[in-house]
This record gives sequence, C-alpha cells and structure tokens, in this order.
Amino acid sequence: MADGSDGLSPSMSPSESQSPEDARYEHYVARFVRYEPDLRRFIRSLLPTRTDADDVLQQTALVLWRKFDQYDLNTNFMKWACVVARFEALAYRRKMARDRLVFREDVFELMADEGEEEIRDRQAEHNALEGCLAELPEKQRQLITLAYTPGIKVKEMAEEAGSTAAAFYMRVKRLRHQLLECVEKKIQQQAGQAS
Amino acid sequence: MKPSKFSQLSGQEQNWLDDYLDGTIGQDEFSAMQDHMIQSSAFRKVMRRYLSIDHSLEVFSGETEEISPWAQPLSTQVKAPIFRLASLLPIAAAAALAFFLGSLFTKDSAPEDVIATPERSAEGFAVVSALFDAVWRDDKSSRQPGDTLSAEVFTLASGTAEIQFFSGAYMTVEGPAEILLKSAWEAECRNGAVRMKVPPAARGFKLQAPSAEIVDLGTEFGLSVRGGHGEIEVFDGEISVQGRGGKEQFFEKGNAVTVLPSGTVADSQSGIIKFPDARHLKPEADSGRERWQTHRDTLSRDPRLIAYYTFEKNKSQALIPNLAMPRNTDLDGAVILAESATGRWPNVQSALEFRRPGSRVRVNLPGEFPALTFMTWVRIDSLDRQYNALFMGDGYENGEPHWQICDDGKMMLSVMVDDSKQHPQHAKSRFHHVYFSPPIWNLSMSGQWMHLASVYDPAKELVSHFVNGKQISREAIKPDFNVKTLRIGNGEIGNWGQPFREDPSFAIRNLNGRMDEIAIFHEALTEKAIAKLFEESRSNRSH
Repeated sequence: MADGSDGLSPSMSPSESQSPEDARYEHYVARFVRYEPDLRRFIRSLLPTRTDADDVLQQTALVLWRKFDQYDLNTNFMKWACVVARFEALAYRRKMARDRLVFREDVFELMADEGEEEIRDRQAEHNALEGCLAELPEKQRQLITLAYTPGIKVKEMAEEAGSTAAAFYMRVKRLRHQLLECVEKKIQQQAGQAS
Repeated sequence: MKPSKFSQLSGQEQNWLDDYLDGTIGQDEFSAMQDHMIQSSAFRKVMRRYLSIDHSLEVFSGETEEISPWAQPLSTQVKAPIFRLASLLPIAAAAALAFFLGSLFTKDSAPEDVIATPERSAEGFAVVSALFDAVWRDDKSSRQPGDTLSAEVFTLASGTAEIQFFSGAYMTVEGPAEILLKSAWEAECRNGAVRMKVPPAARGFKLQAPSAEIVDLGTEFGLSVRGGHGEIEVFDGEISVQGRGGKEQFFEKGNAVTVLPSGTVADSQSGIIKFPDARHLKPEADSGRERWQTHRDTLSRDPRLIAYYTFEKNKSQALIPNLAMPRNTDLDGAVILAESATGRWPNVQSALEFRRPGSRVRVNLPGEFPALTFMTWVRIDSLDRQYNALFMGDGYENGEPHWQICDDGKMMLSVMVDDSKQHPQHAKSRFHHVYFSPPIWNLSMSGQWMHLASVYDPAKELVSHFVNGKQISREAIKPDFNVKTLRIGNGEIGNWGQPFREDPSFAIRNLNGRMDEIAIFHEALTEKAIAKLFEESRSNRSH
C-alpha cells in the first residue's frame, strides 16, 4: 500500500465476546489470507519449482504466526512477511543447493532485493494476465493451461512422440511470449490512462 | 516469432529464460545465465516479470496447495471466498487433455480428421439465464439463454442480460457493457451498469470496478461504470468497498457512493443513477420466432428435402405433419408418448420432449437416396443411454442410417453396409462402420439448444459432423464400406424401433431432451449450406 499500512485497520476488530488470543489470531488470518498470493509469488521467483515454493510458503506461514505478537498492526504486513519469507527461502536454498537449478547466493540476494520492491508490479501483471488469458482464443487458452497443469507429463509423452512434442513446447513458448507482450501492453495502457 | 516492442531480450537471453522456466537448462548455460544476471539489471527485471507470469499460469492452471496451518474458521468479516479462476480450470484442462495430446501426437494416418472443437467451452461457472432485447457486438460475443459462461469477457452492445453464477449470485447487466467473468465468485465490470443480487450462499461475491473492489456481504446493489468512473448504490443489506490504495469501507442500504478513477471513494446521492432491473422486462421472444417462421416456410420448399418436421403444438397431438413440399401426408409422423414442451422461444410449446423411455415419433420415408444429410435443433438434458437416438432406421438393414449420440458426448452416424456379413473386428455386430465426431456435449451443457448436422456423402466418400453450423470433424468412407444406395423406410425420431437385441442398455435409446425441428435431405449439403441454414433458423442473432 502506498501509505505504508497494510490496508487492514487495527480497529477492524472481531466481536466483543472473543478472547484477545482469538482476536490476534483473526488479525493474523485476515492479513495472511490477503497477502498469501503475493507472498507465494515472491517466493516462487527465488526458487526453481512450485513445490519448493509451496514448502517455503508453508514454513513462512508458521513462522509469521509464531512471531505475530512482534508485529505492529499499523505497519506494512507484506514488507514484514517478505523478510521472513526471504530468510526461509534462503535456508531452504542452502539445504538443496546441490540441485542444479538453484540460484547462486549473490543472484538470489539481488533477485530478492529487487523483487521486494516490485510487489505491486507483480499484482498488476497478474491482473493483466487474467485479462490476456480471457482474450486468447479458446484453443490457445486450453493449450497453455494444459501445459501448466500439475501432474501433466507432457515431457514424457514428448520424448516418446519425438518432434511433435518439440512443436508443442514451441507453441507453449510462443504463447508465453505473446502473453508477456499482452501483459506489458495492458500495463502501459493503464499507466497511460492514469496519467 | 515477432520481435517484442517491450521486453527487449537477445536471442540468447530468451533461450536461457525459456529453458530455465521449462527446467531444461544445462549446467553450463545456467551458470552463464547467472553470470549475466549479475551484470544486467534489465535482464533481471524482465526475468522477474517472466517468472511472475509463469507463476500466474501455474496458479490459473492448477490450484496450488492450500496453505492452512490453522484449524479455526476465518472471521466473517474477511470471509471473502478465496476461490480463484484456478479452482475451475483444471477440470477444463483435464477434459482438453485427451483431445490435445491426441491431435498433437497422432500421426496423419488416423482416419478421423478433427477440424475444430465445438464453438464454446464445455465447462463453465455461470449461465445466461435470460435476455431482453439483447444486441451483441459481433457474432463471436453472441450468447443464448442457457449458455454456460466461463472465464471470458462478456460483451453486450445493448439490451439487458441476466447472468446466474454457480455461487448463487445473480447479475443483471445493461448494455453497452463489458464484464470480465473470472469465477463463480468474482467478476469485473469494466464498463456498463449492473445490478447484483447476492443470496446468503454467495456472500463474499467480489465485483471489481476499474479503481475499486466491492465485496458483497449478502445484499442487492448496483454498480455503474462509465469512463473509469464508478457509481455504487446499495439497495439492500451491506457491502464493503475498497478504492484502489484506500481502506475498506462498509455501506448499508440506501447509501450511494462515487468511486473516482483515482480510487477515491466519496459519498453520493442515491436514486440518481438508473440501474438495470429485469423485473419489468419481458424475455425476448417474438422477433426471433417470426424470422424462424420465415425460414421454416422457405425450407419447406427446398427440393433437396426428404422430410421436414417441426414440433409446434398443434390440434392433432398425435400427428406431426411433414412440411416438405409438395405436401405428402403419407410422410407425416406419429407421436408416441413424447410430450409437447417449451422450445427455443420462451413460453412457446414448439418442441417435443423424449424423456420417457417409450417416447418416439414414427415415420415412414420410402425411396432410395444417393446421399443423406440430417439436421436438427436439439436440447439434450442428459445422455442417459449408452446410445441416444436422434434419427434411427428401424432394425438396421442394408443402406439404413443410424444417427445418434454416444454417452460420452460424441455424435455418431452409421449406415449398415451388409447385414449378412459379420463385422471384421466385432463378433457381435454386422458389417458396418460408425463415424464418430469428437465429444460435442457434456453435462454442463444440459438444457442448451444446439444445432446438429451430419452428412453421409458416398460420392465424395466422406462423413462429416457439424455443430452450430460449423464442421467439427470428417472421416473418409473406405471403399469396402461405401454405401451408394441409401434407404430409410420405417424409422423413428428420438428413439429406436425394432432393435435386434433385447438387452435394454442396447435397445432403449430414447433421447432425454427436446427437439424443435428435424430435416432430412437426399443430398450431401455443403458446409456453407449448413452454416446458412443454421444462421437462418437460430433464435437469436448478432448484429
């Protein structure tokens, strides 16, 4: 949020009958639920697969809750959560550093530093993408969705089927690139309208 | 690939990125990419954007694991359901899987030539419940009552549409309007005026305006968006409004607020804006029907017809006149058990329903024909039988056609080639071949009217299937299977008379649904001719 607060007022409190612990809990859940997608996206940009990101997000959620009494309700929750998430991702990275697709520590730090400053850009991209997907012809949308569906072993089928699979990947790459262009165009248009 | 106007990447950078995202990058390349990342902040920036889009695609394509380290329910104030587009897409993706992998990986030797999937996606999370003088911007955006809607931009040029979301929320839209439908729980009004009615079960439905988000807390409210400027009025209950960058605010019945393009939310006066209200409108009916009647009268005079039946309720309940000219009463059909029902036009009994197992229309169409085209407007409620009849020759003798729909949603057309010979592959059947289309129907399309046609063309050695005027598949007739002299004789619409086996799963083939007209031609109609007849007979039209 522009003003530095997280947009959830501390006075937006649960009913009178609740214990302070319940109230604290609800404050936490309200915030976590709101920022969970952003946090997941931030973590995902630092780690190679979505499973890695899920593990780290899970861990981050627990740590945030444990430390929630240290959190000042008037400050930016996302900023605070990013610090924790980044630390958890780094720890996770060290454990699995032998995996060849893990960023080196210097690259990781740079990506995390800069990524933290771009949370709002990410939200805008996500929203723009939703529109771009909706505008895609049905068949192309199904193709890209299929390529990203968990558990779809296109790769295995690809190996068996030879060159046609390469064509499949080529189409996915092309679509991804097309979507990136569409997202950038949409964001530019919005920036144009706002000014 | 077109060079990008925005993210300028070198070929090398693009390859690194693609290979990293696909997990196929080699060790040396990964190391080189990271060296480059340290050097180039521009590349890192594009990379983060790419990673973000990659992640969004993951989210949209499959629900990422639920993170719930807590057991208690969320408080009611923040209980905006976190349903996203993603929760609905995997089903559609799974449904598409077989088709795509099939079409991508099968060799050209496969007999069936699948041309296109049916026009609209089978899956959805909302339905067009009514239209009032709806005018569409173009043919592509045109919808009919009963159509399911999925993640898409719903565009209405003028008139009013009612959309019911599967969450239970009701939206009345007045054109010109552009609404992005996101899920059963979320939509975005980009332009136009809407009225939302949200029953308790759909509490938490989110409606976005260009610079604000409205969460419905069980109520009725209106939102009008023109030129990025939003006007909101609460008619009943309570809503929460959050302007871009601002705090969430709550408004109750009688309140009206303005949302400026900047996201600022300001009090306003109620009763100024007229929000759509479908209660005083009459569903569109007559204009489309008159046009259809003209089509019917023209088609009746088409010399290519063997027979043409429409099912408007008439005085003689039991008799369905064959409308093909010159009039021949011998070709009239006899209705058995099938009941008159509302057809494609609201409040007009123009269809027959074949729901009861014995329902059928019996006909006798003597003669020999060089080709056959079947065409019908049908509303399938469910595919209860293994095979569901559209039009079936009695028994299944040489040259007789069977036109039906399989329980997996595929259209089937077959003609008996030689009933004295055993089928080369199937011990229990005789010498024939079934020409299937790809699936054209599934349960989410229950109750939608669709135009189906199939053509048996011995001269071109081709069988083709059509949905809503578009060819969706064709298959060559192999020389051994080509039947040049076609016959019908005794036959049935919506069921199968005189099956040759008594097993009910085989013999009972009534169609659980309605039919509004059926035409049979002794010529192979072209794709263009079928598209034209579809256009002329449809109940709505775009401008």
